[in-house]
Amino acid sequence: MEALPPMDETETGPEMSLILRLNGESLAIPVRHVHEVINAIPRTRVPNASAMAPWLINVRGAVVPLVDVRRRLKMPPRDHDDGRIVVLDIPRGAESHRLALLADGVEEVMEIDPLRIEPLPPRGAPWPIEFVRGSIRRDGDLVLILEPESLFEPETGSRPLH
Amino acid sequence: MQVNPAVQSYVIEARDLLAQLETMLLDLEQAAPPEAVDSVFRALHTLKGGGGMFGFPALSAFVHHFEDAFDLVRMGKISVTRPLLDAALAGRDHVIALLDAGGDPERTDALANSPEAASILSQLARAANLAPPPVAPAERGWMVHFRPAANALMHGMRPDLLLEELASLGQCEVKCLAQGLAPLATLDPTQSHLGWDVTLHTTQGRAAIEAVFIFAEDAELTITEIAPPEVETKAEGPAQVRSTAPSRAQHNPETVRVPSLKLDAILDQLGELVIAQARLNQIASRFGDSTLDGLVEEFQRLIGGLRDTTLAIRMLPIETVFGKFRRVVRDLSVELGKEVILETEGGETEIDKNVLDRLSEPLVHMIRNSVDHGIESTAERVAAGKPAQGLVRLAACQDAGEILITIEDDGKGLDHERIRQKAIERGILAPEATPTESQLAELIFAPGFSTAEKVSSVSGRGVGMDAVMTTISALRGSVEVMSRKGEGTLISLRLPLTLAIIDGLLVQLGGDIFVMPLIAVDECVEFDLTELKRDSGRTMLAIRDEMVPFVDLAHVFGVPVDGVARRRVVIVRAEGQRMGLVVDDILGQHQTVIKPMSPFHADLADFAGATILGDGTVALILDTTSLLRRLLDSPSQALAA
Repeated sequence: MEALPPMDETETGPEMSLILRLNGESLAIPVRHVHEVINAIPRTRVPNASAMAPWLINVRGAVVPLVDVRRRLKMPPRDHDDGRIVVLDIPRGAESHRLALLADGVEEVMEIDPLRIEPLPPRGAPWPIEFVRGSIRRDGDLVLILEPESLFEPETGSRPLH
Repeated sequence: MQVNPAVQSYVIEARDLLAQLETMLLDLEQAAPPEAVDSVFRALHTLKGGGGMFGFPALSAFVHHFEDAFDLVRMGKISVTRPLLDAALAGRDHVIALLDAGGDPERTDALANSPEAASILSQLARAANLAPPPVAPAERGWMVHFRPAANALMHGMRPDLLLEELASLGQCEVKCLAQGLAPLATLDPTQSHLGWDVTLHTTQGRAAIEAVFIFAEDAELTITEIAPPEVETKAEGPAQVRSTAPSRAQHNPETVRVPSLKLDAILDQLGELVIAQARLNQIASRFGDSTLDGLVEEFQRLIGGLRDTTLAIRMLPIETVFGKFRRVVRDLSVELGKEVILETEGGETEIDKNVLDRLSEPLVHMIRNSVDHGIESTAERVAAGKPAQGLVRLAACQDAGEILITIEDDGKGLDHERIRQKAIERGILAPEATPTESQLAELIFAPGFSTAEKVSSVSGRGVGMDAVMTTISALRGSVEVMSRKGEGTLISLRLPLTLAIIDGLLVQLGGDIFVMPLIAVDECVEFDLTELKRDSGRTMLAIRDEMVPFVDLAHVFGVPVDGVARRRVVIVRAEGQRMGLVVDDILGQHQTVIKPMSPFHADLADFAGATILGDGTVALILDTTSLLRRLLDSPSQALAA
């Protein structure tokens, strides 16, 4: 019997992705998740919220959580009011929820071929593999390919127990 | 497929009728007045007629049998019996199925020829054949006071004919009221000057008497029943439900049917309008132009009115779901072989449609639980010296901006020891824990908890009560259980009136602004800063002659406050307790559109949601009830800076 060509359901064709900067690293998010990119705007702190989503912002009349993924990616925290905000729509179950991601800057939109994605090297890459699928090389440097659905999975707050 | 709007409106109307029919049939079971049979007959008749006209011939044919049966009842040939009502209730459910088939010929045929349909009809036929002719309906006495309007004669009214018609109903004693008659010289013969008091003894009901005067609209007319016969005493409790119904029907103003999606859209737009209004306010205050200020104020007033009206449109009386519960109790008591009646109170209490829609499932579940687990078997009840018939009471009322719903049964109460054992068994409770009775009672809402000895078809899978809790919390409500062994259980639900817009009080805390629901705020007072530094560690304020505990909200929320010379306390109230929340400043009132918290913040019980202020920034809305519950539980911890 003739062998069928290998089928991989997860792999699709090349995908356009937005490259953003965070603590000196380049991170890629598929543009299908990106709603818009806006400049930093005033934010409201949420008392006792998790370090993952410590603020709320107003994006065109909608209240949206402002998410900082530095801690999840094991990067040092940095509290600042500059940079850009990437508004994302992330599927969760049957629905999709809108959130805003804090970034130091936005670089470009590029096509990423899934066949070129390499696994993270075992050493020297502190990022948890459930959040970073792998990396590709660009101009001699790494671009980390994010796993949006797990990276933006909500975590519960740090309210003191009583 | 194109849906004919006339057909659609028949379907909607039919569903309404069927819902009413269920209530009417249940009313009949409790010795309702004769006119109740007329209403059932009329409802059946309308269903049948419309069904034939709008493409539901099978429905029409099916209802026809019931119409016949109730016509016999109406004519006094047979009486209302339990089997007849059983058949009628089952028939009503079948009609809903026929309606759901939407005129689809295949599904309709399958339903119409189903064994269920045949069995319902034979049940009906048997019940109608077996039903004994009723004892002649008791004669009742009525006092009818009638005085035509002065100009009624010119409009062709003939009081003599009306009195004659009245006399045909039964024994009549007519008294003419000629007081206030002008002297003959000045008497205007074209005007009516007389009135009549008629004492009428008849087997007919009030409706028949009212029918006589149907065209005497402007007349002075009162119909009162004289000396209630002893049957009345039978129907004391549930009579409340019935007594409100006819009066409402009489004064029913014209209504319009609107799809609820349109109401949701109006509410969304109103929310945007309120936010835009807040921005306008802010801009106007920068200009300081008195003409502009006047206009802005007027806008504010108009939008406030619009908001109240819009919210009122969405409010429905809670009794719209009560009918369903009576059926649940009736069917359950048959299934479990227990005698249980449901008493309802406060059905007129209004609640937001969205809240009501989501509330009905949890309520059904709790009522099922009361009947299944709470109420004992008849033998056990008699042995315990209780009345054989169990009682479940469902009451609703409005209480300080909240809806309070209680479900009470006179059953055996919670078995606290059994709950303890079960909770330890299920790993919900540590074996060495020493919870109080009320803490134990709350465990029945824990996920995976069920104390039912046997799994019945009704309840006892242990998935229900925690689902109830989840729904109630999602509605920003709370649940409380009280139980006394051998005496019964009382479950209280507290729910907000609306989910959409509230009046809020803006408070400043450091650089942040928070919103407190105005309805929860009792008063605002100046705060003496030295109170925070009492050596005794006391955190109580003397408000007039009451001591009120307080906390510094800045500590609770970890907001840095320094160099504030003057602070204020907002006294809030929740669940009967008062507490002072110390803030930096009070900024004023704000119409607050509540936006729900995202999944990232859903676990923060301190906040009911967020809103957008006039300057476009986001502010958090405090959930004062849950905040107070937390703070009063552990005030010392909250204060630890």
